[in-house]
Amino acid sequence: MKPHWETWAEEAKAEFPRANSALLPLLHRIQAEEGYLSPQTLAEVAGLLDLAVPYVESVVSFYSLFYQRPTGRRVIHVCTGLSCALSGSDQLMHRLEAKLGIQQGQTTPDGEYTLLEAECLAACDKAPVAQVNLRYRESVDLEAAEELLKGEVES
Amino acid sequence: MIRLTIDDQQISVPEGTLVADAAAKLGIEIPVYCYHQALGPLGACRICLVQVEKMPKLVTACTTAVQEGMVVHTRGALVDKGRQGVLEFLLINHPLDCPVCDKGGECFLQDYAFSYGASAGRYDEPKIHKLKDAPINEFIILDQERCVLCQRCVRFMGEYVGEEQLMLEGRGVQTVVATVDHQPVVSPFAGNVIDLCPVGALLSRPYRYKARPWNLERVESVCPHCPVGCTTLATGRDGHVVRVEGRPEADRHWGWLCDRGRFGYDFAYLPDRLLAATVEGEERSAAEAQRTVGGWIAQAVASHGPESVAILVGGQHTVQEANQIARFAREVIGTERVAMVRSTRGYLPSALNGTFEDIERADTVVYLGGDPYESVPVVHLKLRDRYRQFPDLKVIGIGSWVLTRSTLPGQDVVVEPGQEVAVLAAALKIAAGEQEAVKVLTANLGDWRPSLTGVDPAAVEDRLRELGQSLLGSEHLVLLWDGKDAEMESVLHAIKTVREERSAVLPMFGPANWRGFEQAGIDPHFDRLDSVLDDCIAGRVTTLLVFGGDLLREYPDRRRAEEALAAVERVVQEGCFAPEGQEHYHAIVPGAGWGEVVGSYVNLEGRPQTAGAPATPPGQARPVRTYLLAWAHALKKNLVFEDEGRLPGMAAAARAAVAPVTRPGDLARGDDELVMVGNTEVMEGGLPSEYLASRVAEYPGRVSPQDALRLEIGQQGGRLVVEGSDDTIMVNAAPDPRVPGGRMVLPYGIQESPLNRIGEGATVKVYRREEVGAR
Amino acid sequence: MSQARRYLLRNQDIPDIDRIEVYEANQGYQALRQAFNQYEPAALVEMVKASGLRGRGGAGFPTGVKWSFLPDDGRPRYLVVNSDEAEPGTFKDRELIEHNPHQLIEGMIISSYATRAREAYIYCRGEFRRGAEQLRRAVAEAYRHGYLGENILDSGFSLDIKIYRGAGAYICGEESALLESLEGERGNPRLKPPFPAVAGLYGMPTVVNNVETICNLPPLVLNGAEWYRTMGTEKSPGLKIMSVSGPVNRPGNYEIPLATRLRVLIDEYAGGMRDQRGIKAVIPGGSSVPVLTADQLDTPLDYESVLAAGSMLGSGGCIVIDERTCMVGVAARLLKFYREESCGKCTPCREGTYWMTDVLNRIEAGEGKPGDLELIADMADNIGGKVFCPLGDAALGVVVSAMKHFADEFEAHIKEHACPMGARLYYDTVNH
Ligand SMILES: Cc1cc2nc3c(=O)[nH]c(=O)nc-3n(C[C@H](O)[C@H](O)[C@H](O)COP(=O)(O)O)c2cc1C
Ligand code: SF4
Ligand code: FES
Repeated sequence: MKPHWETWAEEAKAEFPRANSALLPLLHRIQAEEGYLSPQTLAEVAGLLDLAVPYVESVVSFYSLFYQRPTGRRVIHVCTGLSCALSGSDQLMHRLEAKLGIQQGQTTPDGEYTLLEAECLAACDKAPVAQVNLRYRESVDLEAAEELLKGEVES
Repeated sequence: MIRLTIDDQQISVPEGTLVADAAAKLGIEIPVYCYHQALGPLGACRICLVQVEKMPKLVTACTTAVQEGMVVHTRGALVDKGRQGVLEFLLINHPLDCPVCDKGGECFLQDYAFSYGASAGRYDEPKIHKLKDAPINEFIILDQERCVLCQRCVRFMGEYVGEEQLMLEGRGVQTVVATVDHQPVVSPFAGNVIDLCPVGALLSRPYRYKARPWNLERVESVCPHCPVGCTTLATGRDGHVVRVEGRPEADRHWGWLCDRGRFGYDFAYLPDRLLAATVEGEERSAAEAQRTVGGWIAQAVASHGPESVAILVGGQHTVQEANQIARFAREVIGTERVAMVRSTRGYLPSALNGTFEDIERADTVVYLGGDPYESVPVVHLKLRDRYRQFPDLKVIGIGSWVLTRSTLPGQDVVVEPGQEVAVLAAALKIAAGEQEAVKVLTANLGDWRPSLTGVDPAAVEDRLRELGQSLLGSEHLVLLWDGKDAEMESVLHAIKTVREERSAVLPMFGPANWRGFEQAGIDPHFDRLDSVLDDCIAGRVTTLLVFGGDLLREYPDRRRAEEALAAVERVVQEGCFAPEGQEHYHAIVPGAGWGEVVGSYVNLEGRPQTAGAPATPPGQARPVRTYLLAWAHALKKNLVFEDEGRLPGMAAAARAAVAPVTRPGDLARGDDELVMVGNTEVMEGGLPSEYLASRVAEYPGRVSPQDALRLEIGQQGGRLVVEGSDDTIMVNAAPDPRVPGGRMVLPYGIQESPLNRIGEGATVKVYRREEVGAR
Repeated sequence: MSQARRYLLRNQDIPDIDRIEVYEANQGYQALRQAFNQYEPAALVEMVKASGLRGRGGAGFPTGVKWSFLPDDGRPRYLVVNSDEAEPGTFKDRELIEHNPHQLIEGMIISSYATRAREAYIYCRGEFRRGAEQLRRAVAEAYRHGYLGENILDSGFSLDIKIYRGAGAYICGEESALLESLEGERGNPRLKPPFPAVAGLYGMPTVVNNVETICNLPPLVLNGAEWYRTMGTEKSPGLKIMSVSGPVNRPGNYEIPLATRLRVLIDEYAGGMRDQRGIKAVIPGGSSVPVLTADQLDTPLDYESVLAAGSMLGSGGCIVIDERTCMVGVAARLLKFYREESCGKCTPCREGTYWMTDVLNRIEAGEGKPGDLELIADMADNIGGKVFCPLGDAALGVVVSAMKHFADEFEAHIKEHACPMGARLYYDTVNH
């Protein structure tokens, strides 16, 4: 556990009438720092918010944006919703899989990329879309697929 | 009341009743998986679909409240089709392993699939594979593939018990029931999920593959392990009990058990079960032993008179058996020297005794001396139930360590060991000193003020006043008493006398069937037992017959018990296991135990309940009556036992009401000394069980974290030498933050660490084991 | 057609309106002052009722009526804005929060004043990283400018707004699941009744409204209920944002007066079909609603007319499907979404979407079997109306209607063991 998590936990708790509400905000903050939520982290979060560990585990496992396994420095979400599919998102996904040598759901061995499928990202007018660390990349045609993998990223 | 029609039958039910429950009242069965009355509606499984006239869609009976004039159809093409659909969905990812599933024959999925004829075989796609045969602890196996995600188990543990140890993991079709990181579930109530699971997803490990439900008989029984006397169903096979399940009683309780009661049935066939008789250290046939002992008794009566024979009763005997023994004593021998084997000195008159209905109405609950979670576990669940209905429930613990726990949060008044009575009396004096009963009660107290752990001496007065007001001012008071201190009876009388509203006491002490023994004519008072032991020591008793129980193990002062046994010419023990200190016994005869004889148990409410006998006594073990009849024969007396189903219905006379309590002496204890505190814990002591072996605490002794630090036993615990004034025992102890400094809490009846060698309340020196040699 | 004056999407006309100075310079927070000056809270509720504004989250429930359900019992009340937008085809709320967050905040202050909520939350979809940042920044600006906090603009009214990020779960758009999530739970929908208005967030009376719904308040207060009723129909008055996607020339969000015809939306607002392709079907209101066919393009886009045409206006996510696209593929793809997003609580949705997706995928891959279509229809019957929350029903809209309108196409897949369109779900990539 990092010492500042305690401060974060207190801040999150102070914001809501009930401590449980602090759970998601705290998890978001910690995951942004750690990249993912290890069992150890979840137990610590439970301790910080005075919640049962199974409760925290259960909640975390419900949400697709909480990662329970280590992720790459860049988490790429390719939207596979209908509008994007109509614009070729499956082809985009296949291209990325080939480029990175991994299947969707996996992380490259060098820890650089994690490739994930996203449900409709609410940017259907810019289909196909992807997100890199939740930053939108719009109209990603096959050429632009290369671009997705480059450039500096924030965590 | 709301009137409605279900399947052409009219019924009136209270507002807020759910259609599912209203139908059940009419005897109309609506299938359910996720719904359980104790847990409330969830609406997840959708199997309970019914049709309500004027509603556009089918509705779930478990979530729909009745409305005036509602017309409900629980069958019909539409309903059946709906349920069929749900069943089919449930089955698509369900394995087809009914033939090897322990739930086969008592499975809701199988049953309903049969009734609603789920269309077979439309599902051709691959099934999702999940965890199978995964133990979630020593007793329970989880099969995620069979799970229908009704959430009963998860909700029971989390919402009902308050120990969140099972959870839903994942989302959608990937959702599973799981434990955290495969950590075992440790709650003593976890076994209930086996009963709750409507399918074969949670099964008993000990029962695994032991039998198939359809070739077994389940008989109604009662748990013999503690005075709660939970109602059970016991399944026998080949003369053994192979399974115990909870048995709900409509409108009374849900049939919860603790794991002690659910899995502790294997004692009957453990290797050290007594199967043959021993006379003077030699194994003898049952018939021969009967003759020999009969001769001894006849001889004693002839030579020293009937009063030279004394009888003690304990163990798991039924009311009928106890009555047979009482009659044998009186009618055959003619002795009044009959007493009960007891560990604690207290007695509770019936007039003060409450029932579980009191818990259902309580606004204030006081633990006196012990924690019900440990001594009478299912009472803890009943309290949780009340707490769920009534979150303002006030819980107060009065004992020498912290008795309340997070699942039932409350306040504790932590007293010096043995001062519960005096503290309560002092509190009553402050709150209602002008009352006559309190005046009498506190006549000897004078200006005595206790010291309370963690309370500033200046604040003690206020704390006591607050306590006194809770005791006297609450609307419905329930006291749970550990029975340790006999003077508590006076305090309880005083509380009852002074209070205007109802108060009720539930005794947490044993033997489990002590109320039953009492009704059968055995005096339960501890001083009765003491006087019999006095008679033994003084040579007035030459023959002592002990039925059940284990005097050396149970009696609080082992030296005195040994002295008594040693002073008697002939001691005969009847029971399922050899008693401790066998050298003192001249004959030991094997008895039939729980599950092997039909009879009644009276629980801590004073409620008689009948237990059947799915098993047969092993080896040469015989029911008590066999011995009694044989010995009556030896005395040439005629003894007829008849109508054994009927309860004898006698009770010992109540004694004087309020009497003054003793003023505690000054506290004197060295800095490095501890005071011993006894505790009744169902997992410790009692009948042996291999199934439960892993649940028996490795470190049953408990000391404060500071003392643990000083004694260097670490977080896990360690082995300690406990040196009393004239004996020394070894105790495995661990730190427990609920225990304040300067005391050690130790359960009664631990064979390796007999507290009764040291004595409750004794001041002891304690060392780590390694230090002994060095000293 | 040239776009008439925009009210909700003024960000499309005014650059940088996400900055408070720009927003203020363009009548920003004027409506709030006017609300404080001209209306008692109860009168404001009456005005919203009179305007006929209906919720834009999908169900179209009259907003003023919803507000009036709050019991007057002295308990604290909450306003919760639903910004979990995740329904395939819908992307209007994201534009509103990313590009004009102050409009939402102003609307929230007005709505809170009307409903007497002291605290308001924005439940922002977890994927909307920028949206959440924009909202955070804008809320901070609003505090600095005295629009939030104690005694706003000396009105005596105080309000705090908090932003809460979801974490990836479509079901959390359903209001009761949203509240569960906001309380730090798994996002399982709650049993109703009680409805949020009676027992919502932390058990207190709570109003849950969609982002677009709340964004209607500033223009509504400025221009009045009568003005609002000059647009749309008697039962569906006012403005609606439609998100148009698919092979049109200008996909995007368009603010239309309700009852604008579907054809007008596609041809005039969205610039018509790309490459003059023919339209095969339109999903007019987000992925949960039945498809309309090419001969229904004259349907006026208001709640009643779309319903009469056999679909729903829903969230306004209009997905246009061209004639070369495989309808089995469309149905399979949408169903997969519901399978992934089913919370798993109730049996028919959890298992039914799983099974049905498998069967549709099989058919699309040319491995369909005789009887598969009947099986799907029967499954749909076993799901529809038997689920715990509307998600399970929503999963069926496109599948059932597509099977009805394009039965031949489905059957051909099975008979020919192949997709007659050449397995074309997508028509091309963006660079055409
Ligand atoms: C599965 C499901 C998903 C939903 N998602 C959203 C959503 O993303 N945004 C939204 O505003 N409403 C959504 N709704 C509707 C909400 O439950 C609720 O009706 C709405 O937020 C109320 O706001 P309104 O009255 O302003 O429309 C969803 C409903 C369901 C059943
Ligand atoms: S329909 Fe059932 S499983 Fe599906 S989202 Fe609603 S409650 Fe969950
Ligand atoms: S029993 Fe009614 S939905 Fe499960």
